[in-house]
Amino acid sequence: MSQPVRPIAAGPRRRSRLLFTIIAVLSALALFATACGSDAADTATEVLSDTVTSDNTATSDEAAEPEATEPAAEDTDSDQAVDTGLNEEELEDLGSDDANVAAVDSGPVAGGTLVIGSTQIPRHLNGTVQSGLATAVPGTQLNASPLLFDENFNPQPYLAESWVVADDGLSVTLNLVEGAVFHDGMPITSEDVAFSVITARDNHPFKTMFAPVTDVATPDPQTAVINLSQSHPAILLAMSPGLLPIIPKHIFDDGQDMATHPRNTEDFVGSGPFKLVEYEAGTIIRMEKFDDFFIPERPYLDEIIIEINSDPTAIVLGLENGTTHVSTTMGSAANILRLQDNPDVVVTAEGHEAIGQVQWLEFNVADPILSDQAVRQAIAYAIDREFLADVIDQGTTFPATTGIVASSPFHNAASEAYDVDLDAARTLLADAGYADGDISLTIDYIPPQQAPYAEYVVQALEEIGITTELNVSPDFPTWAERVAKGEHQMTINNVWNWGDPVIGVHRTYLSSNRVGAIWTNNTGYENAEVDALLDKAAQEFDRDARIEIYGEFQDIVNEDVPIYFLTTPPFWQAYNPAVQNPSVGIWGLMSPMHEVWLAQQ
Amino acid sequence: MFFRNKAAVAGLFLLLGVILMTFLGPYVYDEDPKDIVARPLKGPGTEDVPGLGTDYLGRDVLAGVVNGGLTSLRVAAIAAALIVMIGVTIGAVSGFYGGVIDNALMRFTEVFQVLPALLFAMVVVALFGPSPWKVSIAIGLVLWPQLARLTRAEFLRLKNMEFVKAAQAIGSSDLRIIMRVILPNALPPLIVATTLVMGGAILLEAGLAFLGLGDANEVSWGLMIGQNRTNFITSWWTVTFPGLAIFVTVLSFSLIGDGLQDAFNPKLRGR
Amino acid sequence: MKRFAIRMLWSIGLVLAVIFLNFSLIHLAPGDPATVIAGESGAGDPAVIEQIRADYGLDRSFVAQLASYVVRVAQGDLGDSFFFNQSVVSLIWARLWPTILLVATALIFAIVVGVLVGIFTARRPESRLSHSATILALAGYSMPVFWTGLMLVILFASVFKVLPISGMRDVQFDGGLLASWVDIGEHLILPAFTLGFLFLAQYSRLARASMLEVLQSDFVRTARSKGLSERVVVYKHALRNAVIPVVTVAGLQFGTMLSGAILVETVFNWPGLGRLAFDAVLRRDAPVLLGVLLVSTLLVIVVNLLTDVVYRIIDPRIRVGSAAA
Repeated sequence: MSQPVRPIAAGPRRRSRLLFTIIAVLSALALFATACGSDAADTATEVLSDTVTSDNTATSDEAAEPEATEPAAEDTDSDQAVDTGLNEEELEDLGSDDANVAAVDSGPVAGGTLVIGSTQIPRHLNGTVQSGLATAVPGTQLNASPLLFDENFNPQPYLAESWVVADDGLSVTLNLVEGAVFHDGMPITSEDVAFSVITARDNHPFKTMFAPVTDVATPDPQTAVINLSQSHPAILLAMSPGLLPIIPKHIFDDGQDMATHPRNTEDFVGSGPFKLVEYEAGTIIRMEKFDDFFIPERPYLDEIIIEINSDPTAIVLGLENGTTHVSTTMGSAANILRLQDNPDVVVTAEGHEAIGQVQWLEFNVADPILSDQAVRQAIAYAIDREFLADVIDQGTTFPATTGIVASSPFHNAASEAYDVDLDAARTLLADAGYADGDISLTIDYIPPQQAPYAEYVVQALEEIGITTELNVSPDFPTWAERVAKGEHQMTINNVWNWGDPVIGVHRTYLSSNRVGAIWTNNTGYENAEVDALLDKAAQEFDRDARIEIYGEFQDIVNEDVPIYFLTTPPFWQAYNPAVQNPSVGIWGLMSPMHEVWLAQQ
Repeated sequence: MFFRNKAAVAGLFLLLGVILMTFLGPYVYDEDPKDIVARPLKGPGTEDVPGLGTDYLGRDVLAGVVNGGLTSLRVAAIAAALIVMIGVTIGAVSGFYGGVIDNALMRFTEVFQVLPALLFAMVVVALFGPSPWKVSIAIGLVLWPQLARLTRAEFLRLKNMEFVKAAQAIGSSDLRIIMRVILPNALPPLIVATTLVMGGAILLEAGLAFLGLGDANEVSWGLMIGQNRTNFITSWWTVTFPGLAIFVTVLSFSLIGDGLQDAFNPKLRGR
Repeated sequence: MKRFAIRMLWSIGLVLAVIFLNFSLIHLAPGDPATVIAGESGAGDPAVIEQIRADYGLDRSFVAQLASYVVRVAQGDLGDSFFFNQSVVSLIWARLWPTILLVATALIFAIVVGVLVGIFTARRPESRLSHSATILALAGYSMPVFWTGLMLVILFASVFKVLPISGMRDVQFDGGLLASWVDIGEHLILPAFTLGFLFLAQYSRLARASMLEVLQSDFVRTARSKGLSERVVVYKHALRNAVIPVVTVAGLQFGTMLSGAILVETVFNWPGLGRLAFDAVLRRDAPVLLGVLLVSTLLVIVVNLLTDVVYRIIDPRIRVGSAAA
């Protein structure tokens, strides 16, 4: 090997040029190197077990659950109190023991700015065509709806000061408040209500909410009559602030596609207590008090700011130092516990009961291995959901035994839960003819926050001789497409009940709902008995009868185990003690904050 | 001369240490990094908790550090090999032939050079999947231009030298001249560059894993940092130790590369 | 002038090549953009998917799609985001200047401090301080910049709570223009330092190497022998020589800095292009991805051109200086 050739000495310039080139190249390389250690907070932040936060998957709005075709979903009267299942004491135990919830003697005080910290990024602000928390939190401040709901799921007047459901149940008449105006001063009339309902019916992902609506009559500006093709008690709950914002017809009714209408963000005009002042996609949403709001002397707050931060840690720090006042996206269990220990922050699991999220492991029953019920049951026995809730989630979630959340009156606590039993699992597999190491499976999960659950399952199944490989989807759409097309074998999933089983539960089990879209019947499950039971429950008015029907439904489903249920995360909310009347109702932050005020400290 | 440079020698020892840990470590410290061994997020020194604490799932951080190197090094090594192959080939051809070929190849190189490295690698991995091979390819795609440029510069410099002309005079083929005559002389800066590229590839792999664009079935340092990132403020050990491992590894390559560079160019030491 | 014009033409060609490369890449990737656009609302409905395909021209041939994209880009239209309800141009525009601010500040910081350190260590090349500076320099660019950022966050969030660690502005800020700049400046300190620190190491070594080179050159020896004061020698002549390669390299590394900025922006929640890009990757928001790739590449090309110009302007003076030796 020849000696390295020395550069020809020819003066400083030549040498320095050479030197420069070498150094430049080397430095550039080295710098490529270092700079390449790039991070990308967003995924990174949610890589953690985000099971406890309000995002139904990090993809916020994308996590809207489509309502594919379902038979006319009839609900029982939504007047019924769907109590949280956990009684008041239990709920309080869940929260922090801060005695520091400011005991405020004085009455509500006007003024102040409320800062909400959130990791959720909304697509836009129009809730008639978009579901999910990210849109609903600002959306419910900017838009009013006909009804509000109290903590017992009873409807309360809002934009509709009174309403009448016809005896035959085929129409609902709304009487609107007089003198209500939009942010641009134009009056809110029944035409706007009609427009909003029809827009939602035709565009909103939750198809069953307004599917039976045939038309909306507007006999006079203060009266709207919603005509239905069949009795549809669920329609009242569907008029919640997050589900039916009343948008201005005079702005949106111009023939453009509602899903991509420019006014969905630009110069947004709404009907709610706050008006839009600043909107920067993915960064900040600033809303100011609307002086002509139809409820006199409301809202109390001067301003609400939603600060979007990709990093939950920064939100936690903001809560601790008081620059952020409210949040439901604290990231991980560790952060929640840390905040609970902090006397300057109130942490509660109260609120958002209407959402009812369940995390589960679902099987693709069309898969040759998993089509065997014994294998599915074995897997179910191998997984310890208590471990997930107590250890991995550090006590911030609760075990879920069926597809209907424990806080719903329809929950059947007696259905077979497959509590962890490794021996039973091994026996089942052996009887089915599988020896140790015979079975190899893949598991998917919603990236990135469900990774811990998936990784735990891999470990758990190894104990019974099943090798599992993680299938990592780099982003939500990839995962969604894969599951929608049935290309998976098993996947962890997160699906919301949405208050009444008709809205959020039926879609997973009806054999008619295998339509190749995410959050429909993605397991491929088909059971005629279940189909019949669900149809019956949807049309049954009597609460007790319904409970019985759903009870049987859960028994059968758990027996068949197309899905193994894991945990129910409550929506932990952290807020500053100065915040009075915090949004801890059934819809949580997805409700207008016109009654919220800040105590002076 | 290399060995007189204390820093470079230190780098060599560091690298040896890293390699030992990567290949022998898993046998010495026999814990499976993917096993859940204790409650999550317990710090080092807590009772019943392994040496460096547990991560968000309750897995052993030390086991993760010991085993994580293999993935990172493997991906980086393959990427570096790709970079060298592509970069040197293109650079050599470009520098040797000059003219139109040179122009064309340099334009092609420029296309990849102006793309911000991490951004492009992110896109490639996100679109095509995070398997180790694809990550290596993505890294290779973004880092090769600098090596091509360097090789070209060397070839430009060397091709007019006496010994090259002599080889041409005796009728050696172009390929022979490139491979046997010029390339060996161009090696010093290329070797230096390659060591630095290895460091760069490790950082890029760590970064991608951190982003969630890595293979979650393997343990890797970047992945550890990414997965535990939300907790770092309460559980610093989950992030600090894997980060230190990356740092030490890359530093060792940097020190070695620096030492080599010094050895080949004494003027830089400022005597 | 003619050279410049030719360079410009090449640059345009380069941009087209980049567009082609990125477009092909995204087109080649598995997965159906129509499903992504549909989100979850229409995904199950084949009619909706077909409609989306037609609306977005996804049913045309690759060449047709590419051609139409290029034409639109030439008109300044980068398409609409698949996720956000707005045009890619408006999204990028809102995020552009925070990134430029961040990178420019980091660059200036790194160059200034780097050169100063370089000069100092060049004058005493064998001192322990010099060796330490070298080691520190090497350490600086061996540390994953996301790790450095995280450590700084811990430091300033838990220990020294004097600087903001997130965002670009105080959300509740309510002051005048000047105060607003101060507010942004405060938020800029940590991220700019993290990013700059990475390169500072590099530049100090470059400056040092150049300084050493020059300090031994004939020219400087002559100047010294003529009795010019040490300070004049160093700061007038050698300095210029030290700065040149640093500035040039810095310019050429702009692309690398952008990559580093992605990381820093996410650690510090800085609302720039880097974060936008990563969000887009997470959501397979192809138009935004293409747009960001294009804009960042354009920036790199522009900065390269500028660097070239700057180098030519500064360089002749050096040549004159050396030749006079």
